[in-house]
Amino acid sequence: MEFREALRIAARSIRAHRLRSGLTVVGMVIGIASVVVFATFGASVQAAVIADIGETNANNVFATPASGDDGPPGRVSGFGQPVFTEIDVETLREQEGVEAVIPQGIVGVSTMAYGDQTIAQRQATATVPATFTDDSLVSGEAFELGANETVLNEAAAKAFEQNVTVGSTVKLTLATGETRNVTVVGITSGTRGGFVSGFGEVTPRVYLPVDPFYPTTVESPSVGADVRAYPQVTVVANPNAVESVKQATETYLTTESDAAELLSEGAEIQVQTSGDIVETIQQVINRITRFVTGIAVISLVVAAIGIANITLVSVTERTKEIGIMKAVGATNRDTMQLFLTESALLGTVGAVVGVPVGLVVAWGATRFAEVGFTIAGEWVVFAVIVGIGVGVVAGLYPAWRASKVDPIEALRYE
Amino acid sequence: MCCSGRVDDAVSPRTADSREFFPVRTQPLVVSPVSNDSPATGVAGADESPHSEASERAPTPLVELAGVTKRYQLGGTVTALDDVSLSLGSGSYTAVMGPSGSGKSTLLNLVGGLDTADEGRVRVADDDLGAVSESRRAEKRGTDIGFIFQTFNLMPRLTAVENVALPLVFDGWDRDDRLDRARTVLDDVGLGARYDHKPNELSGGQRQRVAIARALAPEPSILLADEPTGNVDTETGAEIMRLLGEIHERGNTIMLVSHSRRIAEHAERIVHVRDGRIEDVEEVSDLAATPASGDDSRDTRRGRN
Repeated sequence: MEFREALRIAARSIRAHRLRSGLTVVGMVIGIASVVVFATFGASVQAAVIADIGETNANNVFATPASGDDGPPGRVSGFGQPVFTEIDVETLREQEGVEAVIPQGIVGVSTMAYGDQTIAQRQATATVPATFTDDSLVSGEAFELGANETVLNEAAAKAFEQNVTVGSTVKLTLATGETRNVTVVGITSGTRGGFVSGFGEVTPRVYLPVDPFYPTTVESPSVGADVRAYPQVTVVANPNAVESVKQATETYLTTESDAAELLSEGAEIQVQTSGDIVETIQQVINRITRFVTGIAVISLVVAAIGIANITLVSVTERTKEIGIMKAVGATNRDTMQLFLTESALLGTVGAVVGVPVGLVVAWGATRFAEVGFTIAGEWVVFAVIVGIGVGVVAGLYPAWRASKVDPIEALRYE
Repeated sequence: MCCSGRVDDAVSPRTADSREFFPVRTQPLVVSPVSNDSPATGVAGADESPHSEASERAPTPLVELAGVTKRYQLGGTVTALDDVSLSLGSGSYTAVMGPSGSGKSTLLNLVGGLDTADEGRVRVADDDLGAVSESRRAEKRGTDIGFIFQTFNLMPRLTAVENVALPLVFDGWDRDDRLDRARTVLDDVGLGARYDHKPNELSGGQRQRVAIARALAPEPSILLADEPTGNVDTETGAEIMRLLGEIHERGNTIMLVSHSRRIAEHAERIVHVRDGRIEDVEEVSDLAATPASGDDSRDTRRGRN
């Protein structure tokens, strides 16, 4: 029998039971759509995270102290120990291929006041002007070292009833109880040298020059005097030399640096490029996506059982028709083809409707989560193939049953 | 899959003469329409036809059953047919008559290739139905054999034309060709105005006409009718029998199963079956055949288009 004719007959019998077929298709749509939703949402989040880190900090090499066991990279225990001295920063800056070295430290703050309003601000980031780029500064410019100046991120600038603008003065109360009036010289949308800084955009951040605000000092083993020491250093490399800078930084920091000497027992210096971090995050998101999508696949299986069930009912209900068709020349193969076409058609309709539904829901989810929309192409293809495959597989047994119907018995069936 | 050459072959004969609607299949049959004194129907041992000595070659009967036994397992073994031998010539009109459970329907199912014999041989139009594959039997049901049932057995969701075209679907006909063919056959059984009606929009007699048209559509070698008037009133039954008579007159071979003598008498000969054996073969005289058709004038008016 021609496939076109089988399709026509199958479509007709599906239409004859609109409600039943409709509900089966709904099951299929839910199955396919949920796979598409979770896969697409996962891909979107991943793409958004990678874009944040990758674009702004592609050539950054991060160095932090971390606990020495074989914990996953990026783990933060030991994070915060100030081991990188000014001496180390200077030495790193002289390496080949290095554009800038950005140390970052934490300055304890209790409140920030602007106009009549005072808000709580737990901490400020002490860093150097190189942390700001022209691209990241929304208005104004970077602060100067040694000046009573600050740069706020957009969230901090909007934290007050009246937006803080460049040139305003805010009053910072430091953790020590000291009060400083600082001039806002710039508003930034992000910085380099931040560890996964892309996540921080909604948190108010205050940036201060290390001189005069950063108070932490240690005695440098190499020069024997007290110098500033930071818990985190970012080496901004020439884009063509990221890998060699990473190697050189790692070698220096783990052998001859002050940091190597100052490091507490059991800790080690961890040097990572943003590529390493991206890879790690990608792995984690991938794993979560696969897990959740795997759960969605369960609903596909349930939908498959629905199709099998409905096709079985259809076979039983149409026993007499099968008998008639066999009496007028339908072979077992023809009969099987008819029912397989019917179940495959249900699966295909489910896939065709399920994919756009899934994409729309996923799009909504990405809007809600405020990440960009990235279609997980391979998963969409997977869902469609699985949908049609599920239809065929679910129809196999019922179709086989139909092909085995004895025409004489079937013709007697009422 | 569809072979246009084949379709042409099947369709072209009718274009010559539109009245000549049920052309005889020529391939296996050498026997010209059988006369009363040379019956093409024989019982056990009456092999071939009496012509055999006269003609150069012995003509092969269209249907030949030799020593056919069929048993069913229904609680115990039931022998539905016991060593039955029978042959039907091409163009013959045979009624198989007997009470319920006599094995007459089993006989029809075996000839129709719906079932296979446990012992013996069933040949229909050059094929040993017990020896060919299941799919070849299915093909034969669609091309060589036309079934007419007591309960019509039409597909409820298909229109009259689509029902008639159904065997041609499985035979690989092109859609337009088979719908054309179906309309022509429907015209000929007097249902020209009912092409697109579904079975539930048709009367019992009309449904049986659709079923007859469906049986005729592939130009089968033999028509098998199982109590074709069993589900219609007497008057409609007479119309159906009249239509079958016409179809026979145009050269078609018919095998009819009935428990009613009045119906069976429309045939040229009656094979009496009882307890799975052939009891007797009776030749029906022309005189006996006519009165059973009842109201003749009415039949004529309705039977024609």
